[in-house]
Amino acid sequence: MPPESAIVQRTLEMLVLKALSLAPMHGWGIGQRIDQLSKGAFQVPQGSLYPALVRMRRRGWIKSEWRVTENNRRARYYLLTPAGRKQLGIETDAWEKASEAVNAFLRTRTLEDTP
Amino acid sequence: MNRDAMELLQGTLDVLILRTLAWQPMHGYAVSRWIRERTEGTIEIEDAPLYKALHRLERAGCVSAEWGVSENNRRARYYRLTATGRRRLREEESAWRRYAAAVFRVLEPA
Amino acid sequence: MSFFTDAMVRVRAMFLRETEERELDDEVRFHLERDAEERVRRGVAPEDARREAALALGGMESQKEQVRDARGTRPLEELASDIRYALRGLRRNPGFTLTGILVLGVGIGATSTVYSIVHSVVLADLPYPEPERLVRVVEKNSPTNIWALSTADVVSIRERQRVFAEWGESTRREVALSGTGTPSRIVVSPASSGYFRAIGIAVAKGRAIQPSDETAEAPAVAVVTDAFARRVLGSADAALGRVLTLDGVSHTVVGVLPPGRDELGGVRSEVWPALKLQPIVRRGPFWLRGLGRLKPGVSLETATADLARVSAEILPMWPDFRDSTAKLTPVPLREVIVGRSVKQVGLFAGGVALVLLLAIVNVATLVLVRASAREQELAVRLMLGAKRGRVARLLVTENLILTLTAAMLGLGLAFVGLDLAVAQLQSMPRIQDAALDWRVIALGIGAAVVSGILVSLSPIAALQGNTNLASHATGRRTDTSNRTSRMRAAFVVAEFALAWPLLVASGLLLSSFVRLQRVDPGFDPRGLVSIGVNLPSIRYPNDTTVFQFRARALQRLAAIPGVVSVGLADDVPPDPNHGNFDNFNLVHKPVPDGQAEPAVPWYYVDPTYFETLGIRIVDGRGYRSGNTADTLPMVIVSESWAKQFTPGESPVGRQLVQGGCYDCPRTTIIGVVEDIRNLGPALPMVAAYGSLVNNGTRSVEILARARAVTPSLLQTMRNELRALDPELPLVETVIADKVDASMADPMRWAAVLTAFAACGMGLAALGVFGLMAYTVRQRRRELGVRLALGAAPSSVTRLVVSRGMKYALIGSGIGLVMTLLFVNRIQTMLFGVSPIDPATFLAVAFMLAGSAFLASWIPGRRAARIRPMEAIGAD
Repeated sequence: MPPESAIVQRTLEMLVLKALSLAPMHGWGIGQRIDQLSKGAFQVPQGSLYPALVRMRRRGWIKSEWRVTENNRRARYYLLTPAGRKQLGIETDAWEKASEAVNAFLRTRTLEDTP
Repeated sequence: MNRDAMELLQGTLDVLILRTLAWQPMHGYAVSRWIRERTEGTIEIEDAPLYKALHRLERAGCVSAEWGVSENNRRARYYRLTATGRRRLREEESAWRRYAAAVFRVLEPA
Repeated sequence: MSFFTDAMVRVRAMFLRETEERELDDEVRFHLERDAEERVRRGVAPEDARREAALALGGMESQKEQVRDARGTRPLEELASDIRYALRGLRRNPGFTLTGILVLGVGIGATSTVYSIVHSVVLADLPYPEPERLVRVVEKNSPTNIWALSTADVVSIRERQRVFAEWGESTRREVALSGTGTPSRIVVSPASSGYFRAIGIAVAKGRAIQPSDETAEAPAVAVVTDAFARRVLGSADAALGRVLTLDGVSHTVVGVLPPGRDELGGVRSEVWPALKLQPIVRRGPFWLRGLGRLKPGVSLETATADLARVSAEILPMWPDFRDSTAKLTPVPLREVIVGRSVKQVGLFAGGVALVLLLAIVNVATLVLVRASAREQELAVRLMLGAKRGRVARLLVTENLILTLTAAMLGLGLAFVGLDLAVAQLQSMPRIQDAALDWRVIALGIGAAVVSGILVSLSPIAALQGNTNLASHATGRRTDTSNRTSRMRAAFVVAEFALAWPLLVASGLLLSSFVRLQRVDPGFDPRGLVSIGVNLPSIRYPNDTTVFQFRARALQRLAAIPGVVSVGLADDVPPDPNHGNFDNFNLVHKPVPDGQAEPAVPWYYVDPTYFETLGIRIVDGRGYRSGNTADTLPMVIVSESWAKQFTPGESPVGRQLVQGGCYDCPRTTIIGVVEDIRNLGPALPMVAAYGSLVNNGTRSVEILARARAVTPSLLQTMRNELRALDPELPLVETVIADKVDASMADPMRWAAVLTAFAACGMGLAALGVFGLMAYTVRQRRRELGVRLALGAAPSSVTRLVVSRGMKYALIGSGIGLVMTLLFVNRIQTMLFGVSPIDPATFLAVAFMLAGSAFLASWIPGRRAARIRPMEAIGAD
């Protein structure tokens, strides 16, 4: 998959939704959380994160508000909207079906298959 | 449904194609038909990304192409897996497993 | 919901750019600081930490760039690149581009020209305040007998009406103008003060006519137009106070109309003297135009009823006027001025609309063909990740550029074309106002935008669905090419359908025109010249002087070598504007009570007129000259008159009451003369000719027949008359030219419609040709197989031709139905041919069938020459 462990756009959005479903977070924090949840498999390419956040805001899945962090600094926090919560459910289902299909496809063996 | 699947699996195109050609050489149309049938319609690959991927794989040396005659007696371009391609298939398969597992990990904690 | 949030984000991004940018800065900076902190915590040196964080983020600016992208304010930039790409594409395909621009440009140009004419002649409001309240009042005793008003009528209206806020009268006369350079004849419109008040237009300089100017003792005054003041009196300012001599009477100019006002209330005139009404002796004569401004809230029905009441009240006042059916009737001024033009202009407009539609269909075909040829290129675009909507946007952009350029060309053509059209159609009222104003330009641009979108629809539809590259490469017929073929076929059918009404209309008009041309004027116009004179009463105060002048003039002209005969009349043919109609009632066969008396054109001629004109007396006798001149009223009638009013018997010796004057001596019919086309080729030849011998009218036409009309002859004639009276204005007319001119309008209509029809047929034929050529190309393999399998080449040709003819036939079927539905509307413009003239329809059918055949046969022949092996083995 080009390139290794890169997350493609839609999958990234799905993961962001999941991350935010646990608690509101700012942009940097979201990347950290996904990293933790995937046990280090996904280092979110910063290049994709912020544009994805804007797109998701446009679609009404998340909204943003400026808050003060524990270090007394201003940061933009993102929250999941009800629409976003619903979308998370849809995408999770879709992902399960799709990945199951791929797995099934890759699993079948024929004569020419060498281990 | 199909569209969502493809968008979520955007990076998996290569592995699907390579796996398909591992069974036998085919032309592009047959590849997409094969995948569609084997996944019972879940995964439908559009021509544009399919040919883009095929050409990319050809440039990378994973597949080779030549002209042949199709089942209805037309000229068609047939793709076949090379040794490099076989190696790449194995790599892509494990990459996929890791990837899917990672996504599941993120999705799991309720 | 997502649409709303999407819009919110975008709007905020657009209008609060600075805030957004600042927030983005803050957000990114926070991220970097946080990331750097984390790295420092893991043991990286602070400066490195900062750098690494920046690198990891991927460069602040590019981050921001990506966010800006995601905000969705990129469309403008995409548009710019689309335009660049489209321009490149258009430049690389000059054939397509130029054809499209030309075809559509001509269509839009013609449409714009016609629209500006339609607007100024028919649609635009009359240029007066509250024009819908203006009405003209006429005296109507049957649907076709519409008379002017008399002095008695207008005085009664003034006294008795209850529906007009303002009321006035005017009339029209030709007079001799002297005192300002060379004497000339001009048309003047004496009008009352009420006329100006009703119109509601103020003068630009000086004053309008006042009631005090209308009394008999008041000095004669006049208001003039700005153009007249400039041309004859030097300038508008200089005009006030100047004296004009009209028919020998001095008029002082007291007012000048605003520039551009050459017509008031439908009457076009340069000089407006004050109208002085003569004392009333009887109900007639009928010489005035009445104009009223309805009181606010008064409807036409109310006015009609009120005037009917007035008519009934005044009828018994004049016992010798027995026509009880004569009613004073209001007609909206708009109807009077615009009415007649509507039909003609409507035909024009309908024709040009069809041409525009044909042009659009044609361009749509071109675009469709080009799009399907670019199927591969567009598929590559899609393959490289372009979204379908984007590709559609690209197509529309390209087509809009094409159509907007065509619109520019079209408006440029319209600019020139309008001048030409207005020059040709001078006779139409208000045509001078036609101009390329904002409405016309908006129409042109609107047409371009609409056609741009319309022609894009077909290729977008054709490219729907999977563009399957594989099958395209293998030469199999793709879905796209199937769809393209079907759409092209539909276009061809549409083109044939649209061509039918155009061709039929033009055929009918051509037929009419040809028939009009063949109409015998009834006399030989070659060698005929007439000189019109108007003897001013100042120098010719009584009948004796008038008769003297006439006699001497005839004598002198007859003496010129080359002049064969001379005669006198008050009007010479053909004159569709002959105003002098008179009603009559046959004594032995009077009209039943309550029915209107018939009215016919009445002419006054001298004894040698008929001979000069070259027509014979077929019954009874002509007028005699000399001192034994007959003194009782007499009339000579035309053959048609006799056939209509005294069928089966000779009218000679019968008597009639002329002009409703029951107290006057009866008029005796003394002869019947051959028919001529007095009013023009299309109108009836019923006419009555009274005698000039006792009629001292000062306005006469001196008719002369010469062996040949040469400039030197005309000069000699002029000199002879000048010798008699140097100050007399003379108006020459070569009769042959007048006869030709009476055909001018029908010829122009026929010419214009034929041009439209030729375009239509050409475009339709082109459509069939293109479609058949395309089909042949698409099905090369199949046809090659047929030939290889032993089919005769001629059968392949037959196949193609029958295909093409099939489409033409279907289109013709639709077109025929369309035509039959609407063709009755042009009945009034036709002469001698019925709207469903079978010969015309057959001719059109043959022409279209022939062109379809030829257009299919050429590609058909090419198909027959396909080399089978090549065709099959292709690719």
